[in-house]
Amino acid sequence: MIFAMGGGGFTMEPANPLLDDFVLSLARVEEPRVLFLPTASGDTTGQINAFKARFTDRACVPECLSLFRLRDSTRTLEETVLAHDILYVGGGSMRNLLAIWHAHGLDSLLVQAWREGRVLAGLSAGAMCWFQAGVTRSSGPPEPIAGLGLLEGSLTVHADGEPERLPVWLAGVRDGTLPGGWSLDDGVGLLFRGEQLERIVSSRPGASAQRVDAIAGELVRHRLEPELLQSDGPGRLTGDDEAVQELRRVHLLRRGIRSAGG
Amino acid sequence: MEKDGSLLDDYVLSLVEAPRPRVCFLPTASGDADHYVVRFYRRFSSGCDASHVSLFRRDQGTGGVEDDLATHLLGQDLIYVGGGNVVSMLGAWRAHGLDEILRKAWRKGVLLCGPSAGSLCWFEQALSAFHGAPQPVRGLGLLPYSNCVHYDAEPERRAEYHRFVGDGMRDGFAVEDGVGLHFRGTSLLRVVSSRPDGRAYLVQAGKQGVVETRLESSDLGARPSAPPPQTRAHEPVAA
Repeated sequence: MIFAMGGGGFTMEPANPLLDDFVLSLARVEEPRVLFLPTASGDTTGQINAFKARFTDRACVPECLSLFRLRDSTRTLEETVLAHDILYVGGGSMRNLLAIWHAHGLDSLLVQAWREGRVLAGLSAGAMCWFQAGVTRSSGPPEPIAGLGLLEGSLTVHADGEPERLPVWLAGVRDGTLPGGWSLDDGVGLLFRGEQLERIVSSRPGASAQRVDAIAGELVRHRLEPELLQSDGPGRLTGDDEAVQELRRVHLLRRGIRSAGG
Repeated sequence: MEKDGSLLDDYVLSLVEAPRPRVCFLPTASGDADHYVVRFYRRFSSGCDASHVSLFRRDQGTGGVEDDLATHLLGQDLIYVGGGNVVSMLGAWRAHGLDEILRKAWRKGVLLCGPSAGSLCWFEQALSAFHGAPQPVRGLGLLPYSNCVHYDAEPERRAEYHRFVGDGMRDGFAVEDGVGLHFRGTSLLRVVSSRPDGRAYLVQAGKQGVVETRLESSDLGARPSAPPPQTRAHEPVAA
């Protein structure tokens, strides 16, 4: 499964957990292991802290994968990636993201993870990367960029928040340099089961998506209405109750076992 | 800029003849970590024309140099590459064409330097331990040797490097923290150390196995008025 967000989640919506709870609900297990990949940002402390703040007290086992910080890890990248149920990719520079993944062989590991049924989720660069193409600002001005191509079509993000990407995307789709695809507002996510679009969801009222294709040189645009996600979604443990305390103890215990086991 | 590294920074600056050297920092290997960029400006902005290139913030106008990276980098006296993850750095460099620009800068005579990942990158091969077991990494290949850094920091590092060189990795240089190798062209000119006991070694595969030869080094702390050698071009300094 792939869940691609135009923006939103813990780095962009610290007070709105709807999309992140939806991500957790996609895993087959009740307490999924979630690996955050902040590569596109250069592994900024801000993204890592936001991830921890969002997921530490939720029904999951969160972990960050850094490709910059020199923390000794005895596990290989393959062991780390394949030990997780959800791979959550942050935003930033899509050009750097793909180049760095490729340098580490992480792109093929993520493809393997997807084929084996794990959930790939992400926003912005971390959403466009799964498609044939996207529109990036990695070098400043927006420009088309090729993605990993797991999903057919192109994706452009932050349609409402950074509208300067849209004309570049539309021009590319019109002249055929980009395949037809989707533009997403902040807060909107597309859920693909296999390669099929299954649901369009949103964390914000009024946010929308559109599907655009070029037919005989003309753009055909369809506005798509997302389902507005409801609060008290699955996976959330609220308050200072016993369940949260117990979950924390379990997390600590597991970390201890993992590090003791090398 | 590293811990106890100011003597090495002074040494590198002493190699530049310009009264106010143009120095550009590439913090790519750290993911353009803000604290590292700040440390660079603290260290270099008083005596130098200091700048930096960020490959991660180019969309936000906070990427330091924004326009023509090639023109900017080729106009520097010194390019200072920060530490971090060498594999990630080389991947990002390739995506932005920085690998070619840096090769050109070296041929043009720009002084290239850096610690850790900023050392490994200039060599043909490097040993990098990051996720899991150490692995050989292909660098830019300006220097036709291999390189192993933090040689004293981890107990297994020596045995691992010897094993790789014995198994076909190029002969090369093993360097402890605080020690720098100064190359002119592709020839090692000098080994300098910011610590009295800092060491570097030449590690070579021979018929009777791998041979490690300790290289003579100058203690920068003991010779505060060491005259800089008359040098100009083609000088990576790897610390």
